[in-house]
Amino acid sequence: MIERIARPDEVRRWPGSIPVSHRYTPGVAGQAFLETLRDRGVILGSRCDRCRYTYVPARLFCERCFAELAADVEVGPAGVLRSFAIGFVGVEGEPLESPLTLGLVQLDGADACLLHLVLDHSDEPLEIGRRVEVVVKPAGERTGSILDIEGFRPVEG
Amino acid sequence: MEPRVAIVGVGHAGFAPITAGLSYKELMFQAAERAYDDAGVDVRADVDSFVCCSEDFLEGTSIFDEYVPDQLGAVHRPVQTVAGDGLFGIVTGTMLIRSGVANVVVVEAHSKVSDVLTLGSIEHFALDPVWNRPLVPSVLAVAGLDMNAFLERTGLTEEHCALVAAKNRCNALDNPRAAYPADLSGDDVDDSAPLWWPLRELEVAGRADGCVVVVLAAEDRVRDLTEAPVWLLGAGWSSGSPTLESRTWGEADFVRRAAQRAYAMAGIRDPAEEIDLAEVDDTYAYKELQHVEALGLAEPADLGDLVQEGDLEPEGELPVNVSGGALAQGNLFEANGLARVLECVEQLRGEAGERQVEDVQVAVAQSWPGVPSTSAAVVVLGRDEGPS
Ligand SMILES: [Zn+2]
Repeated sequence: MIERIARPDEVRRWPGSIPVSHRYTPGVAGQAFLETLRDRGVILGSRCDRCRYTYVPARLFCERCFAELAADVEVGPAGVLRSFAIGFVGVEGEPLESPLTLGLVQLDGADACLLHLVLDHSDEPLEIGRRVEVVVKPAGERTGSILDIEGFRPVEG
Repeated sequence: MEPRVAIVGVGHAGFAPITAGLSYKELMFQAAERAYDDAGVDVRADVDSFVCCSEDFLEGTSIFDEYVPDQLGAVHRPVQTVAGDGLFGIVTGTMLIRSGVANVVVVEAHSKVSDVLTLGSIEHFALDPVWNRPLVPSVLAVAGLDMNAFLERTGLTEEHCALVAAKNRCNALDNPRAAYPADLSGDDVDDSAPLWWPLRELEVAGRADGCVVVVLAAEDRVRDLTEAPVWLLGAGWSSGSPTLESRTWGEADFVRRAAQRAYAMAGIRDPAEEIDLAEVDDTYAYKELQHVEALGLAEPADLGDLVQEGDLEPEGELPVNVSGGALAQGNLFEANGLARVLECVEQLRGEAGERQVEDVQVAVAQSWPGVPSTSAAVVVLGRDEGPS
């Protein structure tokens, strides 16, 4: 039986860390999505004709039937909020400066849900099923990133 | 014909918020010593193959599979690492035995998470780097989104989830190995701080260190080794859709598929009728209810009543997480699935002490590797050897 050290503050420890840095390739379909978003402010998806499912963001293969797809369907800009969560803590559990809301939105014409921030909903409690629309940054400020979308804003209807 | 497989030994160590002074190797050595003693095996002579379950980032070491043989007695032996939950290790060990490659297999998983200084960042690194990571401050967001979708689909409430957390913390008052036993009420849980609403602080399993080692054997070795084998009647595993955008939200469809495979192998037709005890993943309180549904143990419409009327409690119709689950035993990361198995083994052997449930013949254990993953393993364990 191994003796445990009774006082944790007497335990010797050795520190260690490594920098972990990557660059990620969004791929052919991902690049088409990001460039379309940057250049035209439009959300690009991929339709699988075999299983009638439309993906967002665009992708080159169907995970349901393994068909090859193209980045060729424009979806949104409005859609339905399918779920949301309100965040009070950050990556290591530290309190966020102010709460923020993430939402899953099924854009019109899509089956998949795009994940992004929900903006300007403090006036009334948010509900699943709410109509929302995509808000993109002004043309000159878009760089070809998911952050070119500012988030979703509740709309009437 | 493939041999039947039984669990002939279990051992554990830790199950504490911090295992001060013990290195992860010593923690593993301690659990392994106990498991080999329980199984009555001489590890250097009797064990044919070893399966460990770990993730490099959590261990803080690259190529961690090179760091496991010595403390398990596995030097100069076949050893492999599964980068996933320990229940996938049980699945792999079962395949080694049923395919005739090995007669006795050791499966190990552990957590030394008290040594991890940036756990949230490691978990955050599991998110898709292009589409999700730039937006999502914490992986808890994924649990919050899934919980809200689950409540919307089933009509269950935050109060139901709070009662689950209270039940599991209370159950662990009878579990000497639990890291976080507590006499809590649903209101206590419901009053705790929202982290990613609707998910609250007391609905998230606290992290813990621990190690579980399980010894599996082929049926012709079983009778020499133990008088109380626990038979592995069925095993199943499945992926879901990993992509956040196209996954099934609010429902653990991957658990349902894994369970269907396990039940088919075990010859179980009506799980709610045939299973006496369930140990399911409850890393987040709502997950217990979602997993009970996916395991075919209850209809979603009945879940609210089951919780409110105490049917999931140790004395209830369907005891779930009598051990206290991860909410009370602590989140043991890759060792969570083996912690589920450990409780099933003790219950099936009649060795669960104060928390022994009467007449447990068949038990189910299920695991899920946590957000943002969508994969699951399910095993059905029994006192009788069942179909070949
Ligand atoms: Zn398809």
